[in-house]
Amino acid sequence: MSIRHGLLALLSRGPRYGYQLRVEFEASTGATWPLNIGQVYTTLARMERDGLVEPGGADEQGRAVYTVTEAGRAELERWFSTPVDQTDRPRDELVIKLAMAVAAGDVDVPAVILAQRTATMRALQGLTRAKRANAEGLAQRLVLDSLIFQAEAEQRWLDHCEAVLKEKST
Amino acid sequence: MTVMRLDEVTRVHGQVHALKGVSLEVSSGELVAVMGPSGSGKSTLLNLAGGLDRPTSGSVTIEGTDLATVTDLAALRRGSVGYVFQDLNLIPSLTAAENVMLPRELDGVRSRQARGEALAVLASVGVDHMADRFPEELSGGQRQRVAIARALVGERRLVLADEPTGALDTASGDEILRLLRERCDAGAAVLLVTHEPRYAGWADRVVFLRDGEIADSTAVSLESAR
Repeated sequence: MSIRHGLLALLSRGPRYGYQLRVEFEASTGATWPLNIGQVYTTLARMERDGLVEPGGADEQGRAVYTVTEAGRAELERWFSTPVDQTDRPRDELVIKLAMAVAAGDVDVPAVILAQRTATMRALQGLTRAKRANAEGLAQRLVLDSLIFQAEAEQRWLDHCEAVLKEKST
Repeated sequence: MTVMRLDEVTRVHGQVHALKGVSLEVSSGELVAVMGPSGSGKSTLLNLAGGLDRPTSGSVTIEGTDLATVTDLAALRRGSVGYVFQDLNLIPSLTAAENVMLPRELDGVRSRQARGEALAVLASVGVDHMADRFPEELSGGQRQRVAIARALVGERRLVLADEPTGALDTASGDEILRLLRERCDAGAAVLLVTHEPRYAGWADRVVFLRDGEIADSTAVSLESAR
């Protein structure tokens, strides 16, 4: 995912100016991906160069308004129809850390698991509070749900690690 | 205000030490989740907390009453404690309203008053329009709401929930937790046993049980009290 695809998706709903794009981008992603206004204008300039958007004059306050082009719509269509590849995702630091804790030999691995599980559960409680507090935006809610599912998967994996380690040690 | 307190509670079943000195408090307005692998003592803890079983040592206090001093546990349970179980135990030949009325009628409340109470509590969980349907005519989520209504009727202030989301899909399960959470915010104390982290996430405090002991908790207050 790149910022440009996010901006294209927002522009597909109609012409918008830079600041508006930034606000809508953050609202849609549940503020999990903060953008600065400079990033928005740099990205818009590159998209204009690549023919994906075009400036369509200014609104009444003189702000440059951008419109998506046919090529932009085609690129958006291509993006939505392409599944995300597993290998595009960054390595999970926790998985590597736990693997290294086991490989190192003299580490108290159950203690590492316990500390992480408490931290992950706290994160999960925080996400659930955020979800309860903000019931209006559907896109935002789905982003929070995704983070909740990820935290839950991590929690289950930690339980699994604990069970496997216990079995191997007896 | 503390609604339920376990103080250094142990429970021995034959040779098995199901709980080994567990201390835990649940206050009014608080949702506490208990997690742990099978055999960690979760169900034993819930049964003790609700007065369904007595501890081998240590004390259990519900709304200020030490259960060791109570001879008729059933009466105390009916007045103070509501239960929501995974297998809902709704009676199939009774309507939703009749299922909710039942514990009140057992307490000697007149039928008309019991129905009024049942309809009010069904409304509070959003299924009053289903009051005269039978369990088999309800969806899984609706049945679970009726079971929760039954646990709440009569203004019981301690609600014990054992895997209350059962086999519901995650969106319906979230709704059940939202409901329990609302009851907490209205002043109830809720003790929830779950193996699903996503539902434990709704709690104010999450306690991890392992081999009959509290292995960890997401709250500082409990650790300092131990």
